[in-house]
Amino acid sequence: MNVKGRKVAIVGMSGTFPTCADIDEFDRKLFAGESLIREWPRAMQFQKQVRSVVSGYVTEAETNLEPVYPLPDVDWPETYIDNLGRIPDINLATADLGSIWAMLGAQECIKMAGWSKEETESEQTGVVIASGGGGTAVARYPWHAFFELGKKTRMAGSHVVDRAMSYREAANVSCLIKNKGVCESIISACATGLGNIGYAYRLIKFGLQDRAITGGVEGTALETFIGFDAMQVLSKGFAPSESSRPFDVNRNGFVCSFGAGVVALEEYEMAKARGANILAVIDEYFNNSDGDGNMFYPSYDGQKRLWKGLLAGGNIKPDVVKVHGTATPVGDIIELVSVVDALGEDGYHICAPKSQFGHMLGAAGSVELITALLMLKNQKVLLNKNSDTLNTELENFQKKPDWEGPVKPAAEYRHLISQDIIEKEINQIVCLNYGFGGTNSAISISKDN
Amino acid sequence: MENANERKEILDGLLEVLRTVRTIDPARLEGVTEETDFLTDMNTPSTELINIAAKVEQKFDIEFEDEDIDRMGSKVKDVIDLIIMVKERGANK
Repeated sequence: MNVKGRKVAIVGMSGTFPTCADIDEFDRKLFAGESLIREWPRAMQFQKQVRSVVSGYVTEAETNLEPVYPLPDVDWPETYIDNLGRIPDINLATADLGSIWAMLGAQECIKMAGWSKEETESEQTGVVIASGGGGTAVARYPWHAFFELGKKTRMAGSHVVDRAMSYREAANVSCLIKNKGVCESIISACATGLGNIGYAYRLIKFGLQDRAITGGVEGTALETFIGFDAMQVLSKGFAPSESSRPFDVNRNGFVCSFGAGVVALEEYEMAKARGANILAVIDEYFNNSDGDGNMFYPSYDGQKRLWKGLLAGGNIKPDVVKVHGTATPVGDIIELVSVVDALGEDGYHICAPKSQFGHMLGAAGSVELITALLMLKNQKVLLNKNSDTLNTELENFQKKPDWEGPVKPAAEYRHLISQDIIEKEINQIVCLNYGFGGTNSAISISKDN
Repeated sequence: MENANERKEILDGLLEVLRTVRTIDPARLEGVTEETDFLTDMNTPSTELINIAAKVEQKFDIEFEDEDIDRMGSKVKDVIDLIIMVKERGANK
């Protein structure tokens, strides 16, 4: 449990972001109000089979990687070449696309944190990182070779397991950086990114580790997209930059996106003592489950209990609430009223960064925590792009006789949901993410004062 | 000499395969002889031998039996012996 006086600092951040060469470009584009969502050629290839064709995707070429194909005339890679020579071949051999992004993120985070080789390779350094989806293109070849071609299992090669196992990102990062502490993955659907960071925070807060590389990843894969498209939960019918519309009355689903967010955490006093640049201090992390037996539907009660747990952890009065805000018809407004229930009707702003880059699934929580770190740095609240019209009517769930939450329509909260970037003093931000299975997670971060 | 030429040709083909195996350091492919050991001399991860076997099957258009792979030694000459044996087995069928 908590060790009194022990705090956790965030000392590095990095990632893979759609249409951006690096975190600086991500920072610039977000605070210029741009959308990172494009029409996706890979989905367009199957236009007759898919409903949605927009995504915040990242191609191999955009990350200076080159796919190596196992057979002529197939478009699913077996492995990758790093054209910039950042990752040694022996590490590339065991990695899928997302794991390579995780390794690149880890390298950059360690550089930003300024950890020495000894610190990085210490027994006190952990790796806690994962992806959320099961879709990975590198699994296509082994399945094809075995089931379709009827080949011996060895034709699939000896890397089927390491390239496709759950926890592949943690395993690959750990083998790259050679840390001797914990190496684990926390997998909780779209709460994965934040879940890993929360768990790594606890490892340090509880005195089990001093440092951690942590975050979430979702490698670009049509294999992942297909399942969500099948559920008919993806945005359809808007221009790419207008397709992710959290809170807007005309929203009709989320934009399936991909990316990676990696952060470096360190015990606060150690970071301070070595003069590290402290990006933020973690105030508290809390997670729970809906407990209502529903795999998909968001729970007001679950989110209320989430806030109760978070607020019990200390002095939490955020200037910004970075919401999960996916732009699905039900989720956004349940989340909105649960925030209002916890914090009241004013004194903070709500920000849904998915409006600019879509829903990065297992990477969402970590990439969105990075957007919160950028908001702290820039002292600006990001906009809620495309939240053009808020419902002036009550939602159906608010009309039910057993509804106990706020009974005002979304339009009454326009002052919380800005369509423009707001400059103001930001000292504290709460980040929220939820996932299938009724899992909820919340973290509070503050500027280092 | 025909046999020596055949073995040299197979060795060259094998080297081509080995250059595509990413866990082998290309520097270790300099001066490879039939006595070179994949595991001790080339530092190849033992899990990679199965990949080498599968790539050799593709390269030389042959198919090993599971028992062939089980019995295969870790020296370059063991792989060459196996390729010749399997080729002959195919020719005699």
